[in-house]
Amino acid sequence: MPDLQMKDIFKEFPGVIANDNVSLTVEKGEIHALLGENGAGKTTLMNILYGIYTKDSGIITWKGEEVSFKSPRDAIESGIGMVHQHFMLVPTLSVAQNITLGLKNKGYPFYNKKKVIKEIAELSKKYGLLVDPDELISRLSVGARQRVEILKSLYRNAELLILDEPTAVLTPQETDNFFTILKKLKNEGHSVIIITHRIPEVMKITDKVTILKDGKNVATVNTSETNENELSNYMIGRSLKTFPTRKKTNVSEEYGLVLEQVGFNNKKSKKLTDISFKVKKGEIFGIAGVDGNGQKELAEVISGISKINSGTILIAGKNITKASFKTRKKAGLAYITDDRHNEGLVLDMDVSENMILKDYDQEPFSKNCIINYNVVRKETEQRIKDYNIKTPGIKTPIRLLSGGNQQKAIIARELAAGPSVVLACQPTRGLDIGATEFVRQTLIDKRNENLCILLISADLEEIVSICDRIAVIFEGRIVGIINNGADLNLNKIGLMMAGHSGETVNS
Amino acid sequence: MKYTKELVSTLIIIIVTFLIAAVLIIVAKYDPGMALQSFFYGIFGSLHGFAEIMVRATPLILAGLGVSVAFSTGFFNIGAEGQLYMGAIAITCVGVFLPPMPAMLHIAIAIIAGFLLGGIWAVIPGFLKAKYGVSEIITTIMFNYIAINIVGILVRTVLKNTESALPYSPVMPKSLSFSLLLYPTRLHGGFILAIVSAVLIYIIMKKTTIGYELRVIGFNKRAGTCSGISVYKNIVLASLISGGLAGLAGVSEIAGVHHRLLEGISPGYGYIAIIVALMGRNHPLGVIISAIGLSALQVGANSMQRQAGIPTSITSVLMGVIVLLALSKNIMFSGLLKKMRIK
Ligand SMILES: Nc1ncnc2c1ncn2[C@@H]1O[C@H](COP(=O)(O)OP(=O)(O)OP(=O)(O)O)[C@@H](O)[C@H]1O
Ligand SMILES: [Mg+2]
Repeated sequence: MPDLQMKDIFKEFPGVIANDNVSLTVEKGEIHALLGENGAGKTTLMNILYGIYTKDSGIITWKGEEVSFKSPRDAIESGIGMVHQHFMLVPTLSVAQNITLGLKNKGYPFYNKKKVIKEIAELSKKYGLLVDPDELISRLSVGARQRVEILKSLYRNAELLILDEPTAVLTPQETDNFFTILKKLKNEGHSVIIITHRIPEVMKITDKVTILKDGKNVATVNTSETNENELSNYMIGRSLKTFPTRKKTNVSEEYGLVLEQVGFNNKKSKKLTDISFKVKKGEIFGIAGVDGNGQKELAEVISGISKINSGTILIAGKNITKASFKTRKKAGLAYITDDRHNEGLVLDMDVSENMILKDYDQEPFSKNCIINYNVVRKETEQRIKDYNIKTPGIKTPIRLLSGGNQQKAIIARELAAGPSVVLACQPTRGLDIGATEFVRQTLIDKRNENLCILLISADLEEIVSICDRIAVIFEGRIVGIINNGADLNLNKIGLMMAGHSGETVNS
Repeated sequence: MKYTKELVSTLIIIIVTFLIAAVLIIVAKYDPGMALQSFFYGIFGSLHGFAEIMVRATPLILAGLGVSVAFSTGFFNIGAEGQLYMGAIAITCVGVFLPPMPAMLHIAIAIIAGFLLGGIWAVIPGFLKAKYGVSEIITTIMFNYIAINIVGILVRTVLKNTESALPYSPVMPKSLSFSLLLYPTRLHGGFILAIVSAVLIYIIMKKTTIGYELRVIGFNKRAGTCSGISVYKNIVLASLISGGLAGLAGVSEIAGVHHRLLEGISPGYGYIAIIVALMGRNHPLGVIISAIGLSALQVGANSMQRQAGIPTSITSVLMGVIVLLALSKNIMFSGLLKKMRIK
């Protein structure tokens, strides 16, 4: 008797059928992967199970009983926990407060802080999910927030844990660590449904895979009886490309982006110390490092959201150290942020309005303060086509798009503006394999068009596969810069990411 | 789809409000049939009733637009009442201190002065919020009291009509009066000012980069910052426009209704404007409709008082009910709407 059985689940949103008679069966103690392209309906299916959406039709049985959770609270009480693709934490509360939010512990409404903190510390030690229970969420990196979300479910004794793209924000080490946790959970009889776009992870950790496409079941297979190519075939109808050649065409001698001894110090965030590097036009320069070592701050000082305390920044030869965000944009800078919901998009505005978020005051989108919605519509439709963004229409609030499609919208907007320097933070986080391939290829094409690209990513595999040179950041310092070639030593990068300085190899 | 949903829930609100009104009237031992008749007679029974609704709706539309602009930018301006009084002070000063001049020019100067003074009254809280994070909800309310008391002082001192013992300003010159639109009713040119303002606000908010920036900041300040849109500038701008429109409500009340400054020219228009903006969903057309709706409610209630002797305080109760229903309608009615299969 399977623990969970979802049968013929149907869910329609205005303009889209998100789930078209989807079925899913999960045994006790099984790790089950849910695989599918952006917008395939994975999150919707899980939201139905978790009581966030109501299904139009279909049957859900959990532990032999037919259920239909009215709210996440019901689901949690029945032992189902979910960690969302986009975190649902309260930024102004502490880690401990977030974890216990809504719970009625013994002694409620009085809050036994000592006990709670002790319990959290025990849990986080047991599973290796390191966080400081007293820290405010707003001060945590994206990776740490993810750990809090996982802890939150574990704290509520979830028997079935739904994880929506949990590893997208974890570093390789954290991911390994996280897999150990999953194995532990499995051995204790918990079941896990994991949504991920990373096929190697599916192969490594799961027992069974269910693949969705356009809201329909494609196949369910035992992981041991399949391989990466077959999965990719199910998902996108073809095998994965071996990665495009990065071969340099014409690296110019001009520098697109130069940082000289940049220092940044501000009580609220990580310190940056003495950061210097030069990125040529026609080059992809990667910043590798464990999440939370100053990547975010680096991106913000380059984009102009924060102002540096010392040093100089040049974009396309222009000194923009003190320039505003808009001046930098005019100098040719595009900024793909890693926090799409809070920084990259205005969720309550529609797709077309989000498309002009950075250019609304430029021709052809507006003239003398009047926005030309005709042009906006045409351009939006073009980008939706070029970047294969799945949306019911250009007037749909962007909140309703699937995570991956929101990310595509940001990338389309930033690259379409004709930048000369691209600052890309985690640009493929949350994208499916097809779209990831597409974005990486686009970045390489842009490089070949002589753009200067700075790629900040916690995904080492991504950095290695497309960057020409790699800098490693640790505790707000660049510990070394390495040429990416056949002789690349991954071990050395790993060590540098942990803070060992490598001898700097400048090219 | 979206509109049917709006329509159905609005209908539900109206029906529930009527039921509650009926219960109140019956409990207070009045005749509900008579009440209903006099209520509708007040509204539809005469040209005068119709005009009276528009007269009352005029300041509500202007101030309601102001509140809606502020709300769309995430600036919770509760101070329309004070800003309205500042606008009234401005036009009175224009009438008292400037030399005689042609009506067009006089009115234009009064409108600009009223907009600016009302605007400044909101910009100060706006600045305090943008710069130091001081809660605008508290400062704008405090500014209401200050403005109302300034009026009290002015009509007893510099703006006092020396020929009378009462705390009134002199009557405004003819050149500072809005012309009547529908003689012999009180409907005046301020109504046109209100409609034109609504159209302008619609254009600014939906079609221009200025409105785009304001809305971005209203929805997501962080995304604004990360796109080079200044939170500071836009909050100050929103407060200026918002206070300015409320100031125009004051200008219109003096030029169209009272023709001189005195205490208590507004029976809480600035507060009802908040309800107008909330019910109008911050959309100019919605603001016009809800302003007319609420003033019809008041006109009807006045008629109930005159003809059936029912106290008008019932309208305050009903207005509270309407606000509660309007604010909670999405949550309360979603189940019902789902059953009715309206998506
Ligand atoms: N609340 C909603 N209203 C309207 N449409 C929605 C809503 N939620 C999701 N959709 C649509 O349903 C489809 C499936 O979305 P879903 O979020 O389930 O995709 P997904 O498989 O999780 O994709 P991703 O990998 O990009 O996260 C998408 O086309 C999306 O636009
Ligand atoms: Mg999803």
